[in-house]
Amino acid sequence: MMTSMEIVRAALQGNPAPRIPIFCNLLDQGAPELGMSQAEYYARGEHVACGQLALRTRYGYDNLWSLFYVGREAELLGCQEILFAEDGTPNVADYFLRTAKDIESFTIPEDITRHPVWQESARCLQVLRQESKGRFPICAYLTASTTLPALLMGMDKWLELALSGPDHLRAQLLGKCSEFFRKQVAAYREAGADLLLYSSPFGSSSFVGMRRFRAFSLPWMQRDLTGLGVEDLIYYCGTAPINPVIGEVMQHLGLRVFYPSPKDDLAVTKALVAGNGLTCGVIDDISMISWTPEQTRAEVERLCHIGMPGEHFLLGTAVMPMAVPEANIQAYMEAAFTFGSYR
Amino acid sequence: MIPLHSVCAMLETYITAYNNAVFDTDRDAALQVIAQALAAGHTPEEIVFELVIPAVEEMMAQLSRDLDANLAQHFMTAQIAAEVTEKMLEQFKQPPKTLGRVVIGTARGDLHSLGKRIVMGCLKTLMVEVRDLGVNVPAERFVEEAVAFDAQVIAISSMMVHTANGEQGCRKVRRLLREQQLENRFRVVVGGAPFRFDEQLYQAVGADDWAADGVSAGKVILRQIRELSP
Repeated sequence: MMTSMEIVRAALQGNPAPRIPIFCNLLDQGAPELGMSQAEYYARGEHVACGQLALRTRYGYDNLWSLFYVGREAELLGCQEILFAEDGTPNVADYFLRTAKDIESFTIPEDITRHPVWQESARCLQVLRQESKGRFPICAYLTASTTLPALLMGMDKWLELALSGPDHLRAQLLGKCSEFFRKQVAAYREAGADLLLYSSPFGSSSFVGMRRFRAFSLPWMQRDLTGLGVEDLIYYCGTAPINPVIGEVMQHLGLRVFYPSPKDDLAVTKALVAGNGLTCGVIDDISMISWTPEQTRAEVERLCHIGMPGEHFLLGTAVMPMAVPEANIQAYMEAAFTFGSYR
Repeated sequence: MIPLHSVCAMLETYITAYNNAVFDTDRDAALQVIAQALAAGHTPEEIVFELVIPAVEEMMAQLSRDLDANLAQHFMTAQIAAEVTEKMLEQFKQPPKTLGRVVIGTARGDLHSLGKRIVMGCLKTLMVEVRDLGVNVPAERFVEEAVAFDAQVIAISSMMVHTANGEQGCRKVRRLLREQQLENRFRVVVGGAPFRFDEQLYQAVGADDWAADGVSAGKVILRQIRELSP
């Protein structure tokens, strides 16, 4: 019997497998699973690892996450406050780059692995590795240089700087963020992450349009990735559509795994990626809040029907909101095993 | 004296040039068009009412038609229009008549201010008075400020599912309005990513209307103001 890791590898390489890989991205559900508050849960790497392992055991999907929450990277760089909520995702509450001087003076730690925030992430990865024993792929989340500033200064301030300059300040900030990204890639690989989600909303034309995608996002993504090797990277734009850019991302960045938006036409994604890489079919998990289990099941069937021919296909969720009913998570999993079978 | 039809044609040319610049997210080029229109003898009032507002309205229509419209275009549309309007208003001979009043903020627990900023830029240009309540706003404050500002619309922005759908955001604002018998006095409009994914969500949380993006929110809010105060 193939392990989850073997099934994922088979999908990546286009080799035969009994079924598609099934990802289910449950993050904030870990705290209630362990009976903790969000703040208590996220304070320790062991908690996050235990939450991930418990949720995976409960539902039976294929992946584990080393991600705590998206603002974690900001904490590594100087953010002092996170706003926790018991019913949802933590927010960055301290945009510490407030002035041009802040941008000029802020530095990337020489060795990010010495940072206490990183050490909790490393501890999480260590527990996940020990417990999963290579059976389940461990995912890590890394933010592209063009998007990371939004976590450090707020999206509106970053958009203003990105679109209107000053050019030298923008370049300075992006250079630092790219340096940080590259250090994180090395650190996550060293700590044992198997799949790195390259989160690049500014790599979607729905953020910046095709002209700026080519003139701005693509060159910075090239700088992020040059020489790193991209076999374990997944292209993801934070639920923003990616179909218009897939061809250029493949051509210029060499990425082969694409995690589109639920708003992307999956048939088009599949055709664009073709046999050259892995297409992920992503269910609209915001609509899953109000869907019935039957609707959830029907949507899984639809995605599998489109994505499975030609193999190279994985089924996944976005970041499943806590408001998604338990019955719909169960329905998603049951339907994924039923309709995702190649036998 | 330049004939009226020539003035209109000239403004049309400026509107096109201005919108092309905004559509291309080129702030400098857009401001240059405004400078040219002023240099050609158009008054600040003409610039706002016959150039910037029609341009924003055209942009609203264009962005809603164009499936490839992007966030940068929405942001720049609002930012440039608000910047120009603010500068021109300082030079108006008489303060313009406002069309209505809105209080706006992000829902309790939500610190994402981009959408709110885009909406505010558009509303200011459309001559709607806006009171910015900031981010992470308690439901009680939305209601108190709406009463104090004598607003017609309470606008709530939520970028996260739990702040859009949770008990502390729009749902609570609706409950408070009901309890205080204020439902006939205010309209509640919501916006943000979760509402785009589930187009029925606005009804579930008790809003009167929603907008898919910041620029079209201006139009939706204006419509609600007009319905409430015809």
